[in-house]
Amino acid sequence: MATKSDALCVTIGNMGTAPHQRPFTSHVSPVVLFSVLDHYLRREKDQELVVGAILGVRSDDGTEVEIRNAFSLLETDDGLDEEHYKTLYDLHRKVNPEEVILGWYTAGQNILANATTYQAVFKQDCAPFNPIHMTMDPEALFKTNGLGLNTYTAAPVGFSEDADCMFLPVPSEIKYLDAERSGLEMLASAKSNETRTAALLSDMDHLEVAIVRLQELLERVSKYVDSVVQGTTPPNNAIGRYIMDAVSVVPKIDASVFEKTFNSHLQDLLMVVYLANMTRTQLSVAEKLHLLVNTPNTNSH
Amino acid sequence: MAVTIPNTKPLNVVQLEGLVVLKIIKHCRESYPSDVTGQLLGLDQKGTLEVTNCFPFTADDDEEASAQYQLDMMRCLRAVNVDNNTVGWYRSAHLGNFVDLTLIETQYGYQKSLANSVVLIHDVSKSTAQSNLSLRAFRLQDNFMAAFEAKKFTTASLAEAKLSFSNIFEELPVQIHNSHLVTMMLHNIEMPNLDVNRLESLSTFNLQPSTQADIDASRPLAPNFDVLDLELDPFMQKNLQYLLECSDAQQQEQNNYQYWQRSVAREQAKMQAWLSKRKQENAQRIAHGQAPLPEDEVHTLFKLPTEPSRLDSMILSAQMHNFTKQLNQYAGPSLARLFSIQELQK
Repeated sequence: MATKSDALCVTIGNMGTAPHQRPFTSHVSPVVLFSVLDHYLRREKDQELVVGAILGVRSDDGTEVEIRNAFSLLETDDGLDEEHYKTLYDLHRKVNPEEVILGWYTAGQNILANATTYQAVFKQDCAPFNPIHMTMDPEALFKTNGLGLNTYTAAPVGFSEDADCMFLPVPSEIKYLDAERSGLEMLASAKSNETRTAALLSDMDHLEVAIVRLQELLERVSKYVDSVVQGTTPPNNAIGRYIMDAVSVVPKIDASVFEKTFNSHLQDLLMVVYLANMTRTQLSVAEKLHLLVNTPNTNSH
Repeated sequence: MAVTIPNTKPLNVVQLEGLVVLKIIKHCRESYPSDVTGQLLGLDQKGTLEVTNCFPFTADDDEEASAQYQLDMMRCLRAVNVDNNTVGWYRSAHLGNFVDLTLIETQYGYQKSLANSVVLIHDVSKSTAQSNLSLRAFRLQDNFMAAFEAKKFTTASLAEAKLSFSNIFEELPVQIHNSHLVTMMLHNIEMPNLDVNRLESLSTFNLQPSTQADIDASRPLAPNFDVLDLELDPFMQKNLQYLLECSDAQQQEQNNYQYWQRSVAREQAKMQAWLSKRKQENAQRIAHGQAPLPEDEVHTLFKLPTEPSRLDSMILSAQMHNFTKQLNQYAGPSLARLFSIQELQK
């Protein structure tokens, strides 16, 4: 996959080319986004931007990078607080030994003027790969439709060793895992609330929400089909075929066979429920009896 | 010693930041299948416990090393303005098997030093089975804490305090709260719009499986229909298995208790026999004009065995109660799904 050609033309190369020229993708986990925003929220009053490190795993040949965690760093007047950085990295490694430092992030503006110095700090820890630089622009959240998230890799410019780097953008996408997805949905349901809070749903409520959504989708599809039939909307072959495929997924089972499987499934379920309830009644009866016990045994001491 | 802050109100709700939820999920998921713990940080305000950050604990068993880890972590976090008041701890669980002695002991420790701390349980397997986030907050109830302190768990003391397995823990409702920036971000993660006019035929959809996977992966907040899965087996099986193990353990406890009761009965019978023999001897001695022997020796000669603690039994009951509740809760939506399938077939 070629990188976005902004001002440079980057060729797809093999291991022989320089690291910054190789194709590269990065996946960002949602925890990182939340973490960065939280850090930005808690910055000091006059601070305009915050700096932190990003951790994650790399694929074996270095072309795919997964950013899984991030922690915040302190900025003193001289630059980065190295001791703080080392301590935090050690602590993190104790819990999660497989995450390595992948680079660093800033939140607040786009690339800094003195970003090269920071880049050098992280270069040692990421060797032999280049550190990845991730920026998040909170202004972009307000003004545009996007996230303001950019990831870059550095390419050296100039002839000397410590010369300035040019930052090349790298495509990044947000990758979710199943368990995180349910958590994220829960968080997203809070976004429409005025106080930005949401309570956790019970299982039944969750099912209800999903079914309501499914019904809405079906409504939309059937409206579309009706309007195409009437001639008000131009038909589109691909969508039509897609709908047909979707509808034909419902299996056509013989009615009696279906009855049988349905009933057996139902019976299994009911039996388990019955056993569970019986255990529960047993427990409550035992509880009541225990509370009633007048301890005739201990009275005879 | 416990420090009571004069104006702490009793807790009635726990409010979590979005960041905390995601961090807990990530940590618990990554360490599957072992159980992991971590610390919760935040503030306690007017009956609401606000949790603003958290960090995971190492699996170190070494007391000193983990204490040092905690201190270092708190120090570093304070440097970046994170609230570093401990307000509780979290723990991962699988299918509800979290009620055990370590949980109670640790929570007791926390609650003794901070009156308003909670334990958050995240159930990893249940969350994936129903794709519904399972996060519950518990604290120990006050009368249970008093009993635990006294370490007396005989039937008598429990009956007096009206303690039973259902009032060991009190569950608090959990809420999630997002900051403004995060809310903006959530609004901006949207579904990509497929340009309809460019889709000439179905083949443009299917020929590139990567497009399909990309579409799926990049619609983070698209509706998630995993909850409509019909499959019963794995969840039910595991649950029943755990329940059976628990009832076996409970059976053992019952056997212990009965054994104790029988041995007490035996001892008492022996005591009675000895006492009657003594009385006879005394009667004889009086008849011969000698001083009667004391009867109090009966208590020093025969010792009644002490009653085994009923705490384990209570814990097991609470655990079994939890499992049965889970089964019930799972069955509800399953029935609903089943009947909706029936409707679909018609």
